[in-house]
Amino acid sequence: MGEVQKGLFSVIQKLKGTTEQELRIVLLGLDNAGKTTLLRKLASEDVNTITPTQGFNIKSVASNGMKLNVWDIGGQRKIRSFWKKYLENTDLLIYVIDSADKKRFEETGLELSELIDEENMKGVPVLIFANKQDLATASPASEIAEGLNLHTYRDRKWQIQACSALSGEGVQDGMNWISSNILNAKKTT
Amino acid sequence: MADDSEWIVESIAGYLGSPEWVIPVTDFMEHKCTVFDDEDENKLSYTEIHQQYKQLVEKLLESYMKEVGISEHQFLEACSSPFAKSKAVQAVFQPVVATDDFQLFKSLMVQKNMELQLQALRVMEERNGMLPDCLTDGVDSMGELEQQELCILKEVLRRSKEEYEQEMAIRTLSDDETGSCSTSSSDRMVVDHMDTPPARDTPPAEVIHTSQMSESSVMGRGEGERADGRDRADSGRVCPKPAAGRGSGSKVLGVLRVPVKGVEPKMSGSQAAESWLEEAWREAGISKSFTELSEVQQEQLQQRALYLRQQRDKLQALRKEQQPKPTKELSAAPVPAPASLEISMEEKKRLQKRKQLAEKLKEEVIKK
Ligand SMILES: Nc1nc2c(ncn2[C@@H]2O[C@H](COP(=O)(O)OP(=O)(O)OP(=O)(O)O)[C@@H](O)[C@H]2O)c(=O)[nH]1
Ligand SMILES: [Mg+2]
Repeated sequence: MGEVQKGLFSVIQKLKGTTEQELRIVLLGLDNAGKTTLLRKLASEDVNTITPTQGFNIKSVASNGMKLNVWDIGGQRKIRSFWKKYLENTDLLIYVIDSADKKRFEETGLELSELIDEENMKGVPVLIFANKQDLATASPASEIAEGLNLHTYRDRKWQIQACSALSGEGVQDGMNWISSNILNAKKTT
Repeated sequence: MADDSEWIVESIAGYLGSPEWVIPVTDFMEHKCTVFDDEDENKLSYTEIHQQYKQLVEKLLESYMKEVGISEHQFLEACSSPFAKSKAVQAVFQPVVATDDFQLFKSLMVQKNMELQLQALRVMEERNGMLPDCLTDGVDSMGELEQQELCILKEVLRRSKEEYEQEMAIRTLSDDETGSCSTSSSDRMVVDHMDTPPARDTPPAEVIHTSQMSESSVMGRGEGERADGRDRADSGRVCPKPAAGRGSGSKVLGVLRVPVKGVEPKMSGSQAAESWLEEAWREAGISKSFTELSEVQQEQLQQRALYLRQQRDKLQALRKEQQPKPTKELSAAPVPAPASLEISMEEKKRLQKRKQLAEKLKEEVIKK
């Protein structure tokens, strides 16, 4: 980002007069992981008529007094190369995993580690949702964390949260983690 | 300091109403808006366009500030002043804020797209010289106008398609060579747009007909430089554009129009609509220029254009027979463009309707 661009950016922030409590969040993960379902759940919308995302969805969600601008980008393989275009100025990455899709654990792990290495993701906190816990075949979050080597992440805050985007269980816990960890961190910088 | 702020904000607001700003920004929006629909889900291509918009706005603002000697810092300060926070000023700065607010940007583009589609419809209707019965009634309310637009659309599409198909069927019977020209490929042609290149062959006829169509010659002149620029870019065009002065012309700017003492660029509705058609056409994969088309495509275009011209002539003759109800009645009715983003329920309904129109148009005209 050039000098002027930075300048304009802050000008716009001023014009909008809404700097404090706004977070830009990108919601990523493999196709079928449940990203759009989660997004809809966060916005208290119907989660029963969701089709695979070809482009991206944006919703502004109020949560714990913050305004979250959440960007949900399609996870199909052909779309993944576009992910990095959405990472600029991101305050938080939410990465969604289908906990019952064991066959693709390796694939999702690779995608995540690639994301983490992106320049724009430097130091950006990660919240991982181990989704679809309502399914009997779902692996527990702890197992997934191990598989992803989350304990090796030392350059950023991270959290893994078991949830079911469909039922909403566990989702609020993830949101609470965001408000207590990310928001405070952002204020001090 | 406070005085300074006010001066700076006013100066920039003034710039946002000047042709130096409005023309390139409007131009950009008109050329890029075709892909924007108001589906909830966004297309990946929106992002690229938003990026380009950002760059354009930055370039424009930067050079203006350099020109008048406002520093980045001063601008920043000024933007924090209470004056900058007033409603009027906020509205003016919307196109700037849109660089950082994708949702706002998208809504501006969606709206622009719909406006241009409606104008495109009018252009098509005029060029085809069709005036369905429903159009000859008085035009008072918006509701009626919309009804009529829907009517034109249906009529234009139905007639041109059916009759073209009929004609093709007849020709196919009598002439095997045209067999390559399938009806399905003809459907994707934007109705009269391909009129342009082959028009070279028959400029006199074209001139006569178009000048009959409406007050174009009067309004057309008022367009000044703008129109010239357009025509230059479009070097293939020999004939004056029909009906350049549709009543909707002044509304092209819609949301970009600013309440400051800005100058509204003189851009006619039909020009904007034409560029929309061009874009839509391109988007449909029908090539940038006539010469780049395959031979088959060229032939199809020419046939289509020829057919449409004949069709128009017939209809015009017909119209002269019957006592012609003036086209003016329709053209005088402006398309009210929403002045701001504060969308009322009524506005929403209208947008919904427009969206249906737009979809119909795209479906029928652009896609195979
Ligand atoms: N059982 C169960 N199914 C879920 C859950 N979350 C999502 N699903 C289902 O998983 C399927 C995919 O969900 P989406 O939200 O479309 O997934 P996505 O990550 O947005 O997929 P892409 O848009 O292709 O990237 C849908 O059929 C959802 O109903 C969950 O918590 N439990
Ligand atoms: Mg999705």
